[in-house]
Amino acid sequence: MSPAVPVQPRRHPGRLRRSRPLRRLAAALVAATTLIAATACSSAVDELKASSGERQEGGTLRVGALNDIIPARIFTNSGDAINVLIGSVYDSLVDYPLDELEPQPSLATSWEQSEDGTRLTLQLRDDVTFHSGRPFTSKDVEFSIKTWADPVWTVQLQRTAAAITGFDTTDEHAITLTFAHPLSNVFDLLDMLPIIDSESIDQLREGKAFVGTGPFEFASWSPGAKISFTRNDDYWRGRPALDGIDVSVIPDPQAQVSQLRAHQLDLILGASYRDFESLGKEDAFRVNQWNGAEGQVYVGTNVTNPALSDVRVRQAIAYALDRKRVVDEVYRGAAIPISLPWPDYSPAYDADANATYDFDLDKAKALVEEAKADGVQIPTLPLTYPSENPAYGAIAQIVQSDLAKVGIEAELDPQEQAQVIQQLIGAKFEGLWILNHAYAHYTPSTLAVSAYPFNADHNASLYVDADYQAIADKVWKQPAAQGTDDGDPADYTALNEALLKGSFLLEIAITLPQDASSTQVHDLGQTKRGEPLFHDTYLTK
Amino acid sequence: MSGSVDVSLEEPLSPVPVGPVPGDPAPAPRSGLLPALRHGRGLVGVVLVGAVVLLGVLGPLLAPYGPTEQVPGANLLGPTSAHWLGTDELNRDILSRTLYGIRADLVVVFAAVPIGAVLGVLLGLVTSWWSVTDVIAQRAFDLLLAFPALILGILLTAFLGPGLLTVGVVIVTLEIPVFGRLVRTAVRTVREMPFVEASQVVGAGPLWVLRKHVLPNALEPLTVQLAVSMSVAVFIEGAMSFLGLGVRPPNPSLGSLIKDGVRLLHDAPFFAVGPLAVVVALVLGLLLISQSLSEARRA
Repeated sequence: MSPAVPVQPRRHPGRLRRSRPLRRLAAALVAATTLIAATACSSAVDELKASSGERQEGGTLRVGALNDIIPARIFTNSGDAINVLIGSVYDSLVDYPLDELEPQPSLATSWEQSEDGTRLTLQLRDDVTFHSGRPFTSKDVEFSIKTWADPVWTVQLQRTAAAITGFDTTDEHAITLTFAHPLSNVFDLLDMLPIIDSESIDQLREGKAFVGTGPFEFASWSPGAKISFTRNDDYWRGRPALDGIDVSVIPDPQAQVSQLRAHQLDLILGASYRDFESLGKEDAFRVNQWNGAEGQVYVGTNVTNPALSDVRVRQAIAYALDRKRVVDEVYRGAAIPISLPWPDYSPAYDADANATYDFDLDKAKALVEEAKADGVQIPTLPLTYPSENPAYGAIAQIVQSDLAKVGIEAELDPQEQAQVIQQLIGAKFEGLWILNHAYAHYTPSTLAVSAYPFNADHNASLYVDADYQAIADKVWKQPAAQGTDDGDPADYTALNEALLKGSFLLEIAITLPQDASSTQVHDLGQTKRGEPLFHDTYLTK
Repeated sequence: MSGSVDVSLEEPLSPVPVGPVPGDPAPAPRSGLLPALRHGRGLVGVVLVGAVVLLGVLGPLLAPYGPTEQVPGANLLGPTSAHWLGTDELNRDILSRTLYGIRADLVVVFAAVPIGAVLGVLLGLVTSWWSVTDVIAQRAFDLLLAFPALILGILLTAFLGPGLLTVGVVIVTLEIPVFGRLVRTAVRTVREMPFVEASQVVGAGPLWVLRKHVLPNALEPLTVQLAVSMSVAVFIEGAMSFLGLGVRPPNPSLGSLIKDGVRLLHDAPFFAVGPLAVVVALVLGLLLISQSLSEARRA
C-alpha cells in the first residue's frame, strides 16, 4: 500500500513580483503537476485492470477489531483480535469446514481411531516448519495438548485435553493419542487446538512472541493499539498474497465504521448489525455472513443468587425474553430465536423443545407471582454486559424493559469486555448477564463439558445437577463420530431435558457472525471457530 | 531661637462621623448586574436558559411517553405527528427522552456548579488570609487543575462507578479550584485597601473582614464565573455521558442522547437534532448571560 500523502495548504502568490527562482519553482511545479497527472492516468488504467478481480500480490490488510489481545487468554477465543491472531499465526491438526463436522486434513494428513474409541493415531505432515525455522514434529502435538490441559490457560476444552493421557511420539511424523475414556468430541479439540511452539511459550505468556506454523508471522504488538503480522513466505499451503496484516484495536464500533468509510481500514469485525446492514447497501462495501460459525446470545443466571435459585424465577425470565424482537431489531434478521442452543443441523436439535420458552409475558408474570407467593424475594438484579458491543446494550435494555413488566427489576451494569470474560471464567456474576457463547455448532458434548457457561462440572451459573452431569458425561464418553454418526437421539433428548429443567442459561438467539470489508478485499475466509482466515485473501487497488 | 509653643485645645476630640456628612454630594446609587439581563444579549440568554429550564421542569407534563417506554413497532422512526423527534433503535420517543434528559442536565447545572462554587469560595476565602494555608490550598488547587475534566472524570468513575452522581462529583471537584482561585484574587486585592486596614485598626478580625469587605467585593466576578461554569458543566455532562461515564442506561441525558444520535447518524440523521438544539440553547444562553454580566461589571 502506498503511504498516505499529507494534504498541503494551498498557497496564493499574492501581488508580489515573481523573482527568477520563483519562476523556476513555478516551472518545476508545472512539470511535477504534469507528471502527477500522467501517473494518475496510468494509475486509473491500472485500477481498472485491478478491479477485474484477478489475484494480486502485496499490500497490507488493515483490520479493525474491538478488543485487544490478552496473552493469558490467548486460547479462549474471547475477542476478535485474539481470533485474528490464532487464525493467522497458528494451524490446527484438522479443520472442520464451516458447514459440517467432517474433519479435513491440515497438519494431520490422516487418522485412525481404535474400535473402542480410546486411541487415535494421526499421521502428520513432514514439510512444515514453525516461523522460527524449527521443523514441526509429533512432540509439538503432545506439547500443545498438554498446554491446553493445563488449567492455568483456562481453555474451554481443558477437560477434553486432560482426558488424553498417553502420547506415543516415537515417530516424528505420527502420534498415537490414548484417552482415559472414549472422547466423542476429540476432533473438536483437534480442530480448535493451535499447534504451539514449545520453545517460545514463555514469550507467548508475556505477549512478546507468538510462534506457530500459520500463514502469517507475528511481528509486533502495541498494547491497546495495534498488532502486526507479516507474510510467512514458507507457508506449507503456499505463500499468502498479502504482505501483512495490521490489526488496529478500536473499541468504538462507530469509529470502525467511519474508518472503513474513510478507507482507513479494509475490514472491520466489530460494527453493529444495523451498520452492517447499511454498509451492505452501499456499492463500496461488502458484508460477509459466516453461516456455520454461529454463536449464541443468552442471558446467564447465577443460581446461587437467592432470587434466582428458584427455577420458576429463571423460567419466568426465559418466557419474558422477546427473542423475535431481538432478532428483528438488534440483529436485523441475522439471527434465529431459540430456547436451546443447537442449530438445526446439530444432532441434538429438537424443534419442539426449541419452542419451549416462546415469548409469553402472562406465563412469566404468573411464575413470578407464584414464586413470590411462596416467599421468594426478588430484589433488583444486576444485569451485566460488555459495553463495547452495541448489540449487548440494546438487548440488555429490551430485557430490562420486559422483565419490569413481569415484576422483576434489573439494573443495567455495563462493563468492559475483559472484565466480563474474567467474571465468566471465574463464575463471579452476581445476578444476570448477557453474553455470547459458542460450541453448540460442534459435537453436542463439547458444549456440555467444555463451554464456560455450560460445563456440567463447573459453569458460570454455578449450577450443579446430578442428572445434567450424568447425561453430559454420557454423551461425552462415546467414541468420536467424525460427522457420520449423529449419536443416540435418546441421549440428546435427555440432554435437552436436563438443560430445560435447570434453565440456568436462557438462550435468546443463534447469531450469524458478520464482518464488512471494502470491495477491494477478496477471498476472506472464516473457521468454524470464528477466526478470520487471510491465507487466500488479496487486495485489488 | 527657642521657646515653647502653647497649644490650647479649645474643642475636644470627637469621632469622625460615619457615612455622608451633611453637605456632601449624594453618592450615585449602584445599579448592580441584574439590569444587564433585562435587555440585549442578556435578555436573549435569560430567555434561552429560561425556555430550557421550563422544558425540563414541565417535562413530565409535556412528554407524550415515558423516558424509557418502548413503543411496540416504533423502531428508529423519523419525525411524525406521533413522535415529533422520531424514535430511537429501542422504540423510545426521542422527544420524551430529550425532555427528561434536560432534567439530568439541570441537576448538574443548577446543583453541582453552585455547590462547587460555594465550597470553592469558602475554601478560597478562609485559606487565602494566612500564608501557610494559602500555600497549601493553592498547591491543592494546582493539583486539581492539572487534570483535564475528562481525565478527572475517568479517574473518579473508576472509584464511584458511572452515573449522574459521579458527574456531579466531577463538576464539584472541578469548580472548587476555579472559584477558590477567583476569590483568592479578591482577597489579595481587597486586604490591601485602606478601609480594610482601618477595620483592622479598630479591632476587626479576619473573618469579619472577609465577610464584610472581601466577599461583597468578590461577588460580581463570582457571578460572571458562575454563568461560565454552568455552560462548561453542560459540556462536561455531555462528554462524560458520551463516553459512557455519565448517566446510566436506560435513563436519558442530553449527552447520552447525542451519543446515540451520533452512533446512528448514518441511519437516522434526525436523531441528534433535538438534544443538540437543547444543548446549544442552554450553553449559548449561559454564555450570553455571562458576557452581559461581565460587560455590566466592567461598565
